[in-house]
Amino acid sequence: MAVKVLHRRELTFWEKLYVPQIVGGLKVTSAHLFRNLFLHAAHRVGRLKHLRASVTSQYPEEPRLLATRFRSRHRLTVREDGTPRCVGCMLCETVCPAKCITIVAGEHPDPNVEKYPVRFDIDLGVCVYCGYCVEVCPEDAIRMDTGILDVAAYSRDAMKLDIHELMDPALRKPVSNCSLKFPHQCRVASGQLKDHRSGTQKVLH
Amino acid sequence: MPALTIDGTAIECPDGSTVIQAAERAGIFIPRYCYHPGLSIAGNCRICLVEIEKYPKLQIACNTPVTEGMTVHTKSAKAEDGRRAVLEFLLANHPLDCPVCDQSGECDLQNFYMNFGLYDPRFREQKVKKKKAVSIGPHVMLDQERCILCSRCVRFTDEITKTGEFGIFNRADKAELGLYPGERLDNPYSGNVVDICPVGALTDQDFRFKARVWYLSSAPTVCNGCAQGCNVDIHYVLNRPHLNDGARVLRVKPRYNADVNQWWMCDEGRYGFGWIDKGRLTKVRHRGVESTWEQAMAAIAAELTKLRWNGSRIGVIASSQLTNEELFLIREIFQGALGAQVTAAFPTRPGFSDDFLIKADKSPNTLGTTLLALDGATHDAATLVDEALQGRIEALWVFGHDLTKLGDGPPINNVGLINEESLRELSRKLGLFVFSGTNENSTASWSHWVLPTAAYVEKDGTFVNCHGRVQRIGRAFPPVPDCREDWTILLEIARQLNHPLAWQNPQQIFQGLTEVLPPLAGLTYEKIGSLGAPLAHTPPAAEAAAP
Amino acid sequence: MIDLAVKLTLAAFVFFGVLNLAALHTWLERKQSAIIQDRIGANRASIMGWRLMGLFHPLADSIKMFMKEDIVPAGADRILHTLAPAFSVFFALVAFAGIPFGDRLVLGGRVIELQIANIDAALLYVFAMLSLGVYGVILAGFASRNNYALLGGLRATAQMISYEIALGIAIIGLVMVYGTMNLQEIVRGQAKYLGGWIPLWGIVVQPVAFFVFLTAALAETKRVPFDLPEGESEIIGYFVEYSGMKFGMFFLADFLETILVACLATTLFFGGWQVPYLTPDGFRFPWGTTIAVSQWIYVLLGVASFSIKVVAFCVLFMQIRWTLPRFRYDQLMRLGWLGLFPISVVNALVTAAVLAFFID
Repeated sequence: MAVKVLHRRELTFWEKLYVPQIVGGLKVTSAHLFRNLFLHAAHRVGRLKHLRASVTSQYPEEPRLLATRFRSRHRLTVREDGTPRCVGCMLCETVCPAKCITIVAGEHPDPNVEKYPVRFDIDLGVCVYCGYCVEVCPEDAIRMDTGILDVAAYSRDAMKLDIHELMDPALRKPVSNCSLKFPHQCRVASGQLKDHRSGTQKVLH
Repeated sequence: MPALTIDGTAIECPDGSTVIQAAERAGIFIPRYCYHPGLSIAGNCRICLVEIEKYPKLQIACNTPVTEGMTVHTKSAKAEDGRRAVLEFLLANHPLDCPVCDQSGECDLQNFYMNFGLYDPRFREQKVKKKKAVSIGPHVMLDQERCILCSRCVRFTDEITKTGEFGIFNRADKAELGLYPGERLDNPYSGNVVDICPVGALTDQDFRFKARVWYLSSAPTVCNGCAQGCNVDIHYVLNRPHLNDGARVLRVKPRYNADVNQWWMCDEGRYGFGWIDKGRLTKVRHRGVESTWEQAMAAIAAELTKLRWNGSRIGVIASSQLTNEELFLIREIFQGALGAQVTAAFPTRPGFSDDFLIKADKSPNTLGTTLLALDGATHDAATLVDEALQGRIEALWVFGHDLTKLGDGPPINNVGLINEESLRELSRKLGLFVFSGTNENSTASWSHWVLPTAAYVEKDGTFVNCHGRVQRIGRAFPPVPDCREDWTILLEIARQLNHPLAWQNPQQIFQGLTEVLPPLAGLTYEKIGSLGAPLAHTPPAAEAAAP
Repeated sequence: MIDLAVKLTLAAFVFFGVLNLAALHTWLERKQSAIIQDRIGANRASIMGWRLMGLFHPLADSIKMFMKEDIVPAGADRILHTLAPAFSVFFALVAFAGIPFGDRLVLGGRVIELQIANIDAALLYVFAMLSLGVYGVILAGFASRNNYALLGGLRATAQMISYEIALGIAIIGLVMVYGTMNLQEIVRGQAKYLGGWIPLWGIVVQPVAFFVFLTAALAETKRVPFDLPEGESEIIGYFVEYSGMKFGMFFLADFLETILVACLATTLFFGGWQVPYLTPDGFRFPWGTTIAVSQWIYVLLGVASFSIKVVAFCVLFMQIRWTLPRFRYDQLMRLGWLGLFPISVVNALVTAAVLAFFID
């Protein structure tokens, strides 16, 4: 067993007095206090904006810049005709360590596509954002690049995203008139037909 | 008996056998697509190439007869290079749509490519397009692009079913598998071509897109569809209820048993598992009202005790769908302790049969009822119902059967068709009318007590098939919640009747059975194993039934 | 009758000021710590979109405290459990009665001392109230029926009693110098000038006593670096079983005590309401200039001076809090008994000797 000998320095008399050391500490904190107070005041009148008075970023108003490989909420990519690229191979469901993906596959009208997801749900309350589903997808059908971080809901059920919400990140529950029939078009609750391509889909970088 | 060496292992094998069979005996697996032990040898897929010393070129193991002193290398670099080249050709036109292919996960093309594949493909040309997702019969889907033209299915329809629907048409890279004009693949064994197809060219319509094969668990059991008792594997999923609408059993596959069904099974048995998950009885009911097992057991036992002291007659309609163990318990408790009239004979019209696997008797354990002398020598289900309708029987317990199906057979005695009306009559006249079974039917809706029981894949036990072979059904998964195996119900009833039986599980009951039934003497669950064991003395009825 | 009305008005004025200062204290604490640490601090609470640098947070906090569930642990002494926080706040509040916050105001021939209770021994009274605050702590620990709370309460009691001794002895010298226990008189006694220039405040007369007092007062009020009794998340304190407004009252008492100690320090060592060179007639600067002020302005300047000094002390306490790490318990006790206590005793002896042999 290795032994590491710690050498504790004896305090000098000056240090043992405490008071000078306390004053030293107060000097440091006060320097910060007065510098920052001055800068905050200067910012109020629009001066010295290039010097930051705090390291805080005001999150919801000032969104953070996300790294390109950052894993945010999932989306299902779509083909040019607006149908999901997903072919329901269930590899993501298989690889998912949290078991938050449920897929039910159905027969696609085009025999060259053959299979498509009738149901594709992700339970974000269970998801661990590992990104394995993205890695494993053979069709590039699922990505985690929506930039949506504020995943919150008032119930566990609302944390479950269905295929419509996954195909259109701008879409939020409740969704009405949903049909699980091909090609997955549905209306939002207001009654307007929502087109995922004209939606406010956020593209990062 | 030529002696040869395969991969350094010396082996002797019978005259006329081929290298692939010799390797099999030595426990060495050689890849194959076209070769199937149950079919003739075609030798067209070339994947089984092996290196044989003193042969200038690689040889196919499936069609090279063994000779004395032959030295074979199946894993040499040369042999594997050969297989790699063969796979490159096979994949030239293969669409590689594994994500949507139901075969992926159990596909020999995938497996062997993982072993010997050329991972960096050199094929840059356009693949030939052929027809995809063609329904070629009631059960089978054809994808011509995925086909590697091994011709196993062609040989199966030519040699086993002798119906000859399949053929390979056109030449070279236009060659494709298809049906002859005007044909449909609707023979009673069509599902087998899905099993033998090494790739995803022929897939099940019933199983299509329901699950990925790696989700499936497998349990060995015996088909309960007819008296043949084909050995099968039940493939089921318990932890993904969103698949297949929550049904647990997803498909049934034949299990090799040289003495019963070899590699095959019929479509009737293969696709007839739906009842295991649909329309199940899940709750104990008393005259339509939900009840509990405790109440039911106590009430039925009390009623039976009372009737017995009154000297009333009790009838029991057992079933040849029950295991030997359960039939034995029924005989012990009802015939022995209660003096009831017990019969398992349930006359119905004979079903479809052929000279291969399908038997007219659709019960898996008719011979078991014969062994236990419950086969209706003195009375059958029809006479019991008749007596009950005339008020000569006070209590009736029906195991699994729907009494309205009695009318399927030729009218026996003076009972005509049993219909809802007669069931209502029965319900009114009987002091105790118990139905225990797995699925909802008319008898269940008119009986006083409904006891939900476990399906055969949910319980352990043995069947005796028509050739006098005792086979174990095992237990794939636990029963639906609140359902109980028939043997647990019977043991509980016996306990409540103050006639406790010492056995705790089917294995112990079977031991008790072997002690009283000479044909079963000496058998144990271990001896029966997964492939079954013949009876010690075949009863005369079995000899008559066997072809 | 009018006397009563005057006293009630004074009391209302003081309590209003003190309680609001305590609320502002929470805001100050958050903001100051944030700015020291290069952060922004609480700034989200808003009314109609106005955020006012987070000034609504004390309001939001108090609403939260009132709305939260009040939990009394099973088996706890319900009455004592409820009484403990009330004790703490009560004694902290009534102590303010002895603090003079301004010079006398002559109103319609009536002389009003700006001090709720003009007690001769106001110093003793304030110290007595400060000491009684320990009951709230020990009761909280005892009534919670939680071993950890009880230990926390004992820890707090030991600490407060230890430092009270140093605190009391430290100001003996001061009492000797000014010859009175009446706080108003002590403040008036500080209206002298050393060489005509330097105000002869308590800190000039008794510098050692001031440092001892300051340290002991921090410990007495359980402020960092002496916050072992609370040690909110790390070492379990006496109020671990409190929630809702009861918990809030302990915090209120804490802030009140801090303000009280700031008031005491101001009164004893920083000339209380004295403004340098200001006499009841007006400013008399040492270089000869005089500016006459009316009585009202004189009194208001005094109150303002007192308030500014108190707030400055609060800021200083806060600055110390966000600078120093916490003492270990043995270090705390060693500092109290082996450091501050002997120093204060020596200080009292030296002061007595000086007073006896050199002054008159």
